[in-house]
Amino acid sequence: MRWLTLYLRSRRVPIALATAGGCTALMWSLWSAFSDDRTVAIPMVVLTLLLMTAALTATLSGPDDALDKTAAFSWLPRRIAHLLAAFLIVTVVLLATRATGARFGPAWLVLRDAAGLLGLTALCAATMGTARAWFLPLGWTLVAIITPLPDRLAGRVLTWQAQAPDNTAAAMTAVLLAFGGLIAYAVAGPARSAPAEAAQH
Amino acid sequence: MTRILNIELRRSAALGTALILFVTGVLLLATDRAIFTTGWIQLAMTQRLYLAVLWPLALAAGAWQASREHRSKVAELFASTPRPQAHRVLPTLIAMAVAVLSGYLTMGIAGGLWIIGTAEYLPVAAFAVTAVGVLALIAAVWFGLAIGRLLPWRVTAPALGIAGMGLLLLIPGATRPHGWLALVFSPIYEMNMPGAYAAVPGRASIAQTLWLAALAVTALVLLASSGWRTRMAALLPVALGAALAITVMPHQNRFVNDAIDPVARELTCTEDAPRVCVSRIHSGLLTEVTAPAREGLAVLAKLPNAPTTVHEDTTIYFPDSYPPRRADTVLLDVETGDDAHLADRTDVWMKVVAGAFASPPDCEMSVDPADRIAAAHWLIGSEPAKASEDFEPEDSERAVQLWNDLRRLPADKAKARVVALRQAAVNCTADIGLFSKSTP
Repeated sequence: MRWLTLYLRSRRVPIALATAGGCTALMWSLWSAFSDDRTVAIPMVVLTLLLMTAALTATLSGPDDALDKTAAFSWLPRRIAHLLAAFLIVTVVLLATRATGARFGPAWLVLRDAAGLLGLTALCAATMGTARAWFLPLGWTLVAIITPLPDRLAGRVLTWQAQAPDNTAAAMTAVLLAFGGLIAYAVAGPARSAPAEAAQH
Repeated sequence: MTRILNIELRRSAALGTALILFVTGVLLLATDRAIFTTGWIQLAMTQRLYLAVLWPLALAAGAWQASREHRSKVAELFASTPRPQAHRVLPTLIAMAVAVLSGYLTMGIAGGLWIIGTAEYLPVAAFAVTAVGVLALIAAVWFGLAIGRLLPWRVTAPALGIAGMGLLLLIPGATRPHGWLALVFSPIYEMNMPGAYAAVPGRASIAQTLWLAALAVTALVLLASSGWRTRMAALLPVALGAALAITVMPHQNRFVNDAIDPVARELTCTEDAPRVCVSRIHSGLLTEVTAPAREGLAVLAKLPNAPTTVHEDTTIYFPDSYPPRRADTVLLDVETGDDAHLADRTDVWMKVVAGAFASPPDCEMSVDPADRIAAAHWLIGSEPAKASEDFEPEDSERAVQLWNDLRRLPADKAKARVVALRQAAVNCTADIGLFSKSTP
């Protein structure tokens, strides 16, 4: 228990959770205020998921990753648990809104995009460093939301975030990203920062 | 100053920002080329539409750049230097503005290279639309810098980007039914799918410029400020800009969507007969249209009182305006394809022949599409295609049947029916079809 508390504090989890929750509440109230429809539009659902993922991104590395690596225990299961917990939190919070006046759904889309975006973020954290891990998820998702969904397989794969929940190609892409990110991050951990930013937190 | 600016251009996020804007913009342009290939104003408007992605990215890029000192843990050190805050941020401001400007303009150049062969008509409005787009990006990146300095957290940059896109997506819904308000505050509003004769009125661009300039000034005040009092003063330009922009913008919905450029719609013609005319926006396609259009006229020459000229069909709707109809003129739809050249080049002569059997638009007894296709193909002497993009599938099927019926008739009788159909089309008396009782 002691370890968990220290870990959560070093990863600044409370502030990240508060940010993610606050952002969701903001999106929820914006939709409630501006729309008469109870079902939230898909672009807004995807943006909310992206926002929550971005808020949780900061927890992927601590104040000193190099020091973390010297720990006398295995990081692998802990990193997996960290990502799974993040996935659970994102999906549970969004799916809980289905009982309220502004419903974020459909459920399969929330599950798919949460898994895919978290995986992509973890993959980027493992390759580019946590500070830059949001670049690709943000750019990719914004483009995917805006472009009309093409029929060809490549188009469905490239705009997987905004595809219909029953789309197999999009689901496969998300699963690949999720497992790719999970494995890369669990094995390698966050990438070492550039020397100029070695002291960052 | 120049030296620091040079360093800043190389060592800040400027280079990456320009590159990301350029690559994202070109990718977006490439997804649907038919929207912008018609001409320069269409390209400028499509670029503005894609600000839906580029604008949030510029916001995020600004916030990311602003968190640099915090990330490198030198904020306190730099604050101790005896130089005013405004001095220190100026090179960064210029570098980021240059970055978004060059990213946006190179995206435009990439699109321009695609259409440069056929796009000839270049209205001043195209430059105004692009200038507003650049200003929108500069305002975004500066605003991002300001917010990033105020809230130097890791989540600020992505959250600001997402909020930017959420804002752009929500503005139309939040301002409904006052669409003109959305036009003031959203640089992407009413920029989707511009028609061939699209225009952006100068007043709309001026109002948007006022608002975006106010946003940029606010960002500058926020960046130069150090206390909460000056930060509150930053609200002043925003309020002033919004008020001015709302006053300048005409309070009229669909202001840009309904705008038509009459110059783009004027006809430009071939010098020699038989005359073929296209609108000025399509003037680069004239040589491509001329040959097949003349082939179509040659086929029609078999008819008595045959049409002798082909004009582009410059019909517009809302408000409806039709080109003048004359018996000696065939109207032809001209469209630019994905490759910036004439779309459906092989169908043009068939469309010209079929166009001779079209009735005026206000005609209540116009010719049945199946009759038109059958008569045209009888003149050409080939079987109608079973499926065509220009006609309904059932019309195409019936046309094949009618065409077979025509062929079974003796040539002179069939010709008489076709001639009668043409007369009926011109006189707007087509309650009779090719094979109805009153035709001989």
